[in-house]
Amino acid sequence: MMIPITRYKVYGNSMLSTLKPGQDVLVFTWAYIFSKPKVGDLVVIKNQGKEMVKRIQKCDGRQFFVMGDNKQVCRCCGKKESTDSRSFGPVDISEIIGKVIFVR
Amino acid sequence: MDVIAYLIKILPARPAFAHCDIPCGIYDPQAAQLAAKTVLKMVQKINEEPLPENGRPEVIKESVVRYENAVGRYVFTKEAHAEICKKEILILWTDYFKTEHLEKFPDLHELVWKTAKLCSANKRAVDEAKANELIASVDKIAEIFNQTKK
Repeated sequence: MMIPITRYKVYGNSMLSTLKPGQDVLVFTWAYIFSKPKVGDLVVIKNQGKEMVKRIQKCDGRQFFVMGDNKQVCRCCGKKESTDSRSFGPVDISEIIGKVIFVR
Repeated sequence: MDVIAYLIKILPARPAFAHCDIPCGIYDPQAAQLAAKTVLKMVQKINEEPLPENGRPEVIKESVVRYENAVGRYVFTKEAHAEICKKEILILWTDYFKTEHLEKFPDLHELVWKTAKLCSANKRAVDEAKANELIASVDKIAEIFNQTKK
């Protein structure tokens, strides 16, 4: 039986302090069939073949600007910030896999 | 067992990347400021170090060894801290400052470039004026850094 819920494990720190590495999240993949993503939603997106968990910061039609919750800049890895819409641009609604509905 | 716990147990986990990265978030010009001040202190110590004494050969030898050891240590520390200063400034430049900072502070590029050059100049020279110039230059970068934090 196919259920519209996928379990993800969080890797990385860009969603701190909301999500810590190693936490499990359940994602409802039908969340945006009848409604549009809203600012503040925690979502899993697929960008360049990689599934990432991010938060929606801005909506513009079918385009959504996503960002990590951790706004700190990184000294040790040399990257300036979380890998998100600031680096890869807005994501299309078709790239949003689903909405995070539960965190454990 | 609740439904959520049951789902977590039965569903296979897929990785959800929350990149970047290792956000240590530690950016602070104080390390560069401290290093620049150390450079000045070492220059002063080199200049203040009493020259080897004259006298009997064994006294001269002891005095020269003391002098060379002391100056050698000051030079080594000056060199090391000028390098630390340069590294810290370049970390701010490459990893912290962003395009918007450069737009707001158009002299930033030249300031950082000159400061890095001053670090090298302070390695080569024993010059209080240059060391003070380095401190002033690093302080200007620190001031810009602090303004970006407001």
